[in-house]
Amino acid sequence: MRRCALLLLLLLAACQPLSRSTAEGPAEYAGAYGGNLVWEGTATMAGDVLILEGGSLTIRAGTEVRVTPAEGTQIDPEYYSSLTELLVRGRLVIEGTAERPVRFTIVERPELEEIAWAGVTFDAGAAGTLRHAEIVRAETGVRCIDSSPELVGNQLRRCRYGVISQQGSHPKILDNRIEDGEGGVFVWRGSRPYLKGNLISGHDEEGVFVDADSRPWLDRNTVTGNAIGLALYPRDLPYDETGVSGNTENLRWLGTGAP
Amino acid sequence: MKRWLIAFILLLPAWSAAAEPLVFHGEQTLWQDAVWDGEVVIDGILTVAPGVTLEIRPGSTVRFTRFDSNGDGIGEHELFCQGTLRAIGTADRPIRFTSAEPAPRRGDWGAINMMTSEANNLLEHSVIEYAYRGFHAHFAQATLRDSLLRGNLRGAQFQESRVSIERCQLVDNSNGLQFRDSEVELIDSHVARNQWGVRCVYSTLTMRGCLVEENLINGLNAREGTLSITGNRIIGNRRGLYLQKCFAEAGGNDLSNNSEHGIFLEEGDVDVYDNRVTGNGRAGVRWLNADGSLRHNALAGNGEYALINDGAGPGDARGNWWGDQAPEFVATAVRDGRDRAGMGIVAAGDPLTQPIPWVPPTSPAAP
Repeated sequence: MRRCALLLLLLLAACQPLSRSTAEGPAEYAGAYGGNLVWEGTATMAGDVLILEGGSLTIRAGTEVRVTPAEGTQIDPEYYSSLTELLVRGRLVIEGTAERPVRFTIVERPELEEIAWAGVTFDAGAAGTLRHAEIVRAETGVRCIDSSPELVGNQLRRCRYGVISQQGSHPKILDNRIEDGEGGVFVWRGSRPYLKGNLISGHDEEGVFVDADSRPWLDRNTVTGNAIGLALYPRDLPYDETGVSGNTENLRWLGTGAP
Repeated sequence: MKRWLIAFILLLPAWSAAAEPLVFHGEQTLWQDAVWDGEVVIDGILTVAPGVTLEIRPGSTVRFTRFDSNGDGIGEHELFCQGTLRAIGTADRPIRFTSAEPAPRRGDWGAINMMTSEANNLLEHSVIEYAYRGFHAHFAQATLRDSLLRGNLRGAQFQESRVSIERCQLVDNSNGLQFRDSEVELIDSHVARNQWGVRCVYSTLTMRGCLVEENLINGLNAREGTLSITGNRIIGNRRGLYLQKCFAEAGGNDLSNNSEHGIFLEEGDVDVYDNRVTGNGRAGVRWLNADGSLRHNALAGNGEYALINDGAGPGDARGNWWGDQAPEFVATAVRDGRDRAGMGIVAAGDPLTQPIPWVPPTSPAAP
């Protein structure tokens, strides 16, 4: 009986439509994908990639995702940005490990601006897990719109915005390094992320910004070396300020009302 | 007898579909003027030939079947108009362009597509929903009036066109309105709950009396255009008004409660006057190497700063209300080269001694 069940499971797995990049040669991707896509080895985003509702993208440990920046002449966004973007309406699973991270790298060309691509967007209830990904030079490293993925152990560096949690999103943001951008984490419009154990440092503006409608839980994060460590509207946030130090201004209460 | 025969022939293209819908399968072309009155199903691509006028009567519904040949999530069936479209509904009996699917979703069908359309097309009291691009045009002239564009991937998108949009609602689309190389009037309209509210490039835009709210990227973003933005409410978006390399005036607007900045000026030459800019999350105004001036605005009550100068150039922000006229108060409201090396200095003298009398712009009622 158990053998039958195992056989059935194997058969089911074999029926699953998979499309994968292989180690034999780098695969290029651009457009909308509705099946189950697997990237491993080297995968090139030659343009915008949209994972449709019902579809999935799995990126194996150690994969290099080469992002080709959009030509400067592309001025209309195909989806949400005129820059190259990875937009997820289905499911994205990044299976990096500390030893074998998934690296998003930029296909360089002359006169490319510092912000070279749009980043990863989870949209409209998209799901997923990002583990040990390295995302650099994105407009927004990870943007969550009404979506609640889990972000664990990632490095988001030199992105204009590290993470944006928007519109009812409640992602888990755990043990990431978010560094050297304009701002670290933005929590907007009725969003409730859980941030624990992150290093948020070196931003020109805010480490963490929270608007009046949002209620993140800030739990044992290290927020340092930013212009403003925490910029907070709500006075009733659960947060631990012991790791908030070494910013030009560690804490600024915004709006009116006594803290 | 002859007269009756002529009348019959003339009436042939007109369709009164009390019972059976008029159905177009595959690729078809209207070669002569036609009138639709009732239910129409487009199960393919229907072209209105040059010189031909398609009139759609009040209360009609045009449904498009879903056909996605390449699996990109976008339906391809559409109306392709090279002649003239006159879809004139009434408030009580609007015309509806919609999906034929039982469970409709964004992108089920292509567009009301106008290509090199030769006359002034008109959509009035129409509802356009579940399309890839609700209204789409190249080299066309069109007026959209009293119409609702909702639940599309893009509410309206066009280029090299002249379009007037009056008293319309572009709501709950992925992106609301985007255009390039066009002349546009956007009057008394409601643009809400899209990602991009309005985005335009290389265009001339007159925008007046509009309510632009709760868009998740920008309320209005224009790049390298000429704009007149007066008497609007641009509120509760991520960024309110974001102008890049534009020549513009922005006067008498309410730019409040946006998550980032009420106004973001990046290069260009912009006169900003008589606006209320308050309750914005990061700063009321972000100024980045722009020319022009910021005069007689109410800039009090924003999050971190009233005004940030993030460019090396100077800023002219004399004669505004900052919340207090004391120099030390104004200094804390403005971040410029005095606070950060390499940034320009903002002239913020002659502060107003009290808020400007504020009359909220009249804006369309939310649906």
